[in-house]
Amino acid sequence: MIGNDVIDIVQSRRESNWQRKGFLEKIFTAEEQLLIANDVHPETMVWLLWSMKEAAYKIYNRQTKIRAYIPQKLVCSMAFQNNSYASGKVSCCGTVYYTQTFIHREYLHTIAVSDPAQWDTVIEIEKKNIAKDPYGIPFLSSDPSPNRQNVSVSNHGRFEKVVGLSA
Amino acid sequence: MNKQELILKLKTIIKPYTTNTEAFDNLTEETDFINDLSINSANLVDIVLDIEETFDVVIDNTDMERMLDVKTAVEIIETKLAAK
Repeated sequence: MIGNDVIDIVQSRRESNWQRKGFLEKIFTAEEQLLIANDVHPETMVWLLWSMKEAAYKIYNRQTKIRAYIPQKLVCSMAFQNNSYASGKVSCCGTVYYTQTFIHREYLHTIAVSDPAQWDTVIEIEKKNIAKDPYGIPFLSSDPSPNRQNVSVSNHGRFEKVVGLSA
Repeated sequence: MNKQELILKLKTIIKPYTTNTEAFDNLTEETDFINDLSINSANLVDIVLDIEETFDVVIDNTDMERMLDVKTAVEIIETKLAAK
């Protein structure tokens, strides 16, 4: 399965004050707060971790059909990080999700998969071919098979990204 | 504070984060913060922090998990206020 999350950095500055008292403590674990505090660009780290949690939550929500606001239960760990790319894992209630984040000057885009073997099959899709099932989970409307390929849609501010797994 | 007053106070908290004014104007207990009011999930934590400040209560992670709609938020605030 796949999940994604895009964050418009400019929009996030308008919408959120991550330096607000209590903000980081409510959504990040102690280890994640340390990653933010020790990063040269703490703002980027805040949104990098947040987008990892959001992308992984989309898979968790599809797998379990559970809706909950559980940022602290989506525990992030970084495997690799530079100025334009990061990869890592998000664990939630015993399940591990794998993430890759593309860091641009004005936005971040994280993709999460449930199995690292799926990385080779990740594709970007055009928005116009997307429909939604009764759970609100998007799929490719042109796909006639009973096992419709799940896709993930994310938009924030000026940016929108649609990704899927090719068969 | 009765429930109507509590919902009014909650509406004042929610307003700056909502982008769907029509759903906000027609807000009921069934209104969902994300699906109906289109509130950004990163702003849900601001709502939790504003509730803590406004009502002088502490919302722990277990409460926060369920804080997805007006009804649950009201229920959690009422319980916290009663325990004071």
